[in-house]
Amino acid sequence: MAETASVTLYHWEPNANSGKPMLTLFEKGVTFESHYLDLLNFDQHKPGYLAINPLGTIPAMTHGDLVLTESTAIMEYVDEAFAGPRLMPDSPVDAWRVRWWMKFMDQWLAPSFSMIGWSIFVGPSVRSRDPAELDAAIERIPLPERRVAWRKAISGSFSAEEMAESQRRVAVGIGLLEQALGQREWLASDSYSLADINGFNLAYALPLSQPHLSNDELTPNIMRWLRAIYARPATKSCWALGRTDMARRVTILEGEPA
Amino acid sequence: MTTTLYHGEPNGPSLTVLAALFEKGADATLERIDLAAGERHSARVPHAMEVDHAIEGEGPILVVDGIPMADSVFLACYLDDVGSGPPLRPGAPYDRWRMMTWCRYIVERVAPAASYLGVESSPPARVPEDIASVDLAQRWSDAVAGRIDETRLADSRTKIVQAIERIEQELGDGRDWLIDDFSIADLESYAWLAGMQTIVPEAFADRPRTAAWLARVKARPSVARALATATGPAPERVWAPGPEINRWG
Repeated sequence: MAETASVTLYHWEPNANSGKPMLTLFEKGVTFESHYLDLLNFDQHKPGYLAINPLGTIPAMTHGDLVLTESTAIMEYVDEAFAGPRLMPDSPVDAWRVRWWMKFMDQWLAPSFSMIGWSIFVGPSVRSRDPAELDAAIERIPLPERRVAWRKAISGSFSAEEMAESQRRVAVGIGLLEQALGQREWLASDSYSLADINGFNLAYALPLSQPHLSNDELTPNIMRWLRAIYARPATKSCWALGRTDMARRVTILEGEPA
Repeated sequence: MTTTLYHGEPNGPSLTVLAALFEKGADATLERIDLAAGERHSARVPHAMEVDHAIEGEGPILVVDGIPMADSVFLACYLDDVGSGPPLRPGAPYDRWRMMTWCRYIVERVAPAASYLGVESSPPARVPEDIASVDLAQRWSDAVAGRIDETRLADSRTKIVQAIERIEQELGDGRDWLIDDFSIADLESYAWLAGMQTIVPEAFADRPRTAAWLARVKARPSVARALATATGPAPERVWAPGPEINRWG
């Protein structure tokens, strides 16, 4: 695909999976059309979007006539397909570490954050709607595992055990992030990389959502890292596309160390 | 640069990395460890957070100049970068995206199912000491105690059936390999699925393209050489706790 072919990103808030390719595009300086989907209004399961991504997952990106899904794989694609600063380190060991961290976050840490986030934010946001309408909306979700997740979030039926396990993992994950960021300036290498973009999307609100676990005293390296990423012009442009209070949580990083 | 690969029996992730090493002609000292006995958690193997908390569970460790690295797909990417043999990843960004999303599907959906079925079929004898990851330790004690959830077992069998359906479909245009040329996607898929032929035989029934693909992968010199490192007669029956089944269902 010619680098100049047009790019459209279908995304929700600059947060988690949507924010990963968004921030990567901004860092690379790629001009793209932003197509905002309201996740809480189930825009991602409506026919218009299902025609782009039949799985109904967010985000998706089109580049010319190519359609790409899976946020972390899109990030690697954007880094390779476009000019602009390289976001994967040259060293093969560092590149391995970037991928290791992204998988650790995507498959272990982020699901725990999102279980907590869905139970305190997503579930209550949609729970007040007409049950029949909600039921119909859930039935339209193509992936069975996403139907299960939505039902659990809406009914608030994550067990106490599941929630405790998620909280345990968040604490362990914060410890590992702090350890890694104590060893080097950026998460996976000495240069800013896709691992930092991925990690910021997961962790930008940590000092607000987990203040007892992440703050200037307990996790100075995480705080230094989050503030450094927030200070980047690409991050500012990216978070300006947010429309909800969730994305506005990023302003917690405007404060100086206590 | 000194490189050592600590690997288990050539099945699952150990098979992927051994074969990738041989495909690329990369130089490494091979150290056999007994993954099913939990030797990865012993002092014999170098430790690092990336090994102790690897999402893959029990898999090989590649140590490069003292840095221990884990996770078979990414180790294969590393070997592809440093080795001199033919590329194990496509060159074009879109085709590389195809390969990485395929591998993500295998490691996230298929590998947890295969290892769940594998340890149910060949449970480990005892839980090793000093497992750093609390959730991996839980998978070990469940496997040793035979605490098998019937719903998860049935769902795992379905995942294997679906994976073979997808492979049969991918190869529908007459291609030899899952992406374009032979790649890490073929290795990782074969490594997790070869042992499923005896455990979920119905998945493989009447799947001629998949059968021919399995034979092609097995016939590659790199895979044959990896399989020849086996210390027992049936490496495809040797399992240790792998990645967890997605907590969201």
